[in-house]
Amino acid sequence: MKVTVDHDLCEGNMKCQAAAPEVFEVRDDDLAYVLVDEVPDELRTNVENAVRLCPRQAVRWQKEQK
Amino acid sequence: MTQLSLSPNDIDLTDPEIFETNQAHEVFRMLRREAPVHWNAENEVMRGFWNVTKYADVIAISRNPELYISSHGITQMEPVIKNPMDEVMQGFGKMLITTDPPRHVRLRRLVNKGFTPRAVGAMEIHIRDIVTRILDDIEKKPGVDFVTEVAALLPLAVICEMMGCPRSDWNLMFDLTNKVLGGGDPEYQTDVPEAERGTVEAARQTITSGSMQMFQYWANFIQAHRKDWKDDLVGLLIEAELDGDKLNDEDILWFAFLLIVAGNETTRNAISGGMLALHENPAEKQKVLDNPALLSSTAVEEILRWTSPVAHMARVATRDTELRGQQIKEGQRVVMWYGSVNRDEDVFADPYRFDVTRAPNDHLAFGIGEHFCLGAGFARLELKVIFEELFRRFPDIHVDGDVQRLRSTFIGGIKHLPVTYTSA
Ligand code: HEM
Repeated sequence: MKVTVDHDLCEGNMKCQAAAPEVFEVRDDDLAYVLVDEVPDELRTNVENAVRLCPRQAVRWQKEQK
Repeated sequence: MTQLSLSPNDIDLTDPEIFETNQAHEVFRMLRREAPVHWNAENEVMRGFWNVTKYADVIAISRNPELYISSHGITQMEPVIKNPMDEVMQGFGKMLITTDPPRHVRLRRLVNKGFTPRAVGAMEIHIRDIVTRILDDIEKKPGVDFVTEVAALLPLAVICEMMGCPRSDWNLMFDLTNKVLGGGDPEYQTDVPEAERGTVEAARQTITSGSMQMFQYWANFIQAHRKDWKDDLVGLLIEAELDGDKLNDEDILWFAFLLIVAGNETTRNAISGGMLALHENPAEKQKVLDNPALLSSTAVEEILRWTSPVAHMARVATRDTELRGQQIKEGQRVVMWYGSVNRDEDVFADPYRFDVTRAPNDHLAFGIGEHFCLGAGFARLELKVIFEELFRRFPDIHVDGDVQRLRSTFIGGIKHLPVTYTSA
């Protein structure tokens, strides 16, 4: 599964980085960046938490393309 | 105090007495159990709406700002007799908080870099200076009204400085915010003859007159700024461009209005409510005294969860939909009760316990999603610094007299809170 951060919404609240530092990094521009292409299975729960905890609901699972 | 009937059929959450007498949590507990998405029937003054009391449902509504919009009313109040002035006064579609995407996103990006945790963190020393001045002023007195002499002054100073509003006008901003947000309380209905205070009409008049004075003040302020530009938030808004166009005076006016109103009474009540909660739970207060670092880790978050200063925000459904099995019709309002979701048994262990070490604590006191509180970072920092300084200087500070609550269904407010203390 892929995860995305909507930069129109993101305001550098750091919740995603705290939940899954291997996957998210908040940089000097106060925006969070996704560090991996595919989220490894063992990090899924952490990313799930990032999705749930982002105050701006900017972190989302990417819908599978059919 | 009237004894509340605790059956969903009799519940009317437009009744400010429920909040003034601190009985709302009993009502919410019952609603979460028996009618978590509850139809609040129309009464003589107000149209019906849905009371939403579960955490998961507020998340679902907030995730969908196209289905549940903010531009057609953000409070429970939808008068049965529509007054065209009401929509104008409430700024439908005009303010950040009453605008929907896609415009909302662009409007918010004009200012949000000044409110990120990093930007706010840089203000800590300055905020500590403001707090020091406030506490210097009360040091020599044996006791004060904590609300008017401490809690109200910090958010007022922070927001007024940010806007460039001179100190000589801070009192006016305090009075006008009380009228706009607390207009339902007779204490603030000073423009209405005494015999008529306490009625729905008196509330409407007070809110209108407070808003008009606020508009007038900021209209003049913006005019003056256009001639003599200054580097403050109003200055930034004058320079800002939205899709290639400069903002007009009306846009800037609504921005100023929103920031003053949203930044003041909310934070004030978190500070006062936090003081009260710590007083009522001496063991928890002791933990903070012994370990002030708890303030930045967990205690401030617990104060926010516990006080939930914004009692509710509302949305309007843009089409027929379903929520927890209830049929929501297009045009109906859903009212999200933050005080309820922040004590939802499905999310918080032992939710009625005030626990300064609570973790996790994913409360929704600042809302979530598209309209997540822009000032959350400021509010958190103000709370942290004021309690650090208060407990360092006056560790024995305690409530000493009657608590007077605000008569409001919108702001969980405390009007007066007598405290006494001695210097450490
Ligand atoms: C403890 C204090 C505070 C609480 C509990 C609080 C609560 C809230 C809530 C619940 C919302 C969401 C509204 C919605 O979803 O419709 C909100 C929005 C907002 N708040 Fe706060 N607030 C606080 C302090 C502040 C401060 C200090 C400021 C300004 C410096 C501020 C400025 C705003 C603004 C501008 C919005 C609108 C954001 C938007 O629509 O995008 N608030 N606040």
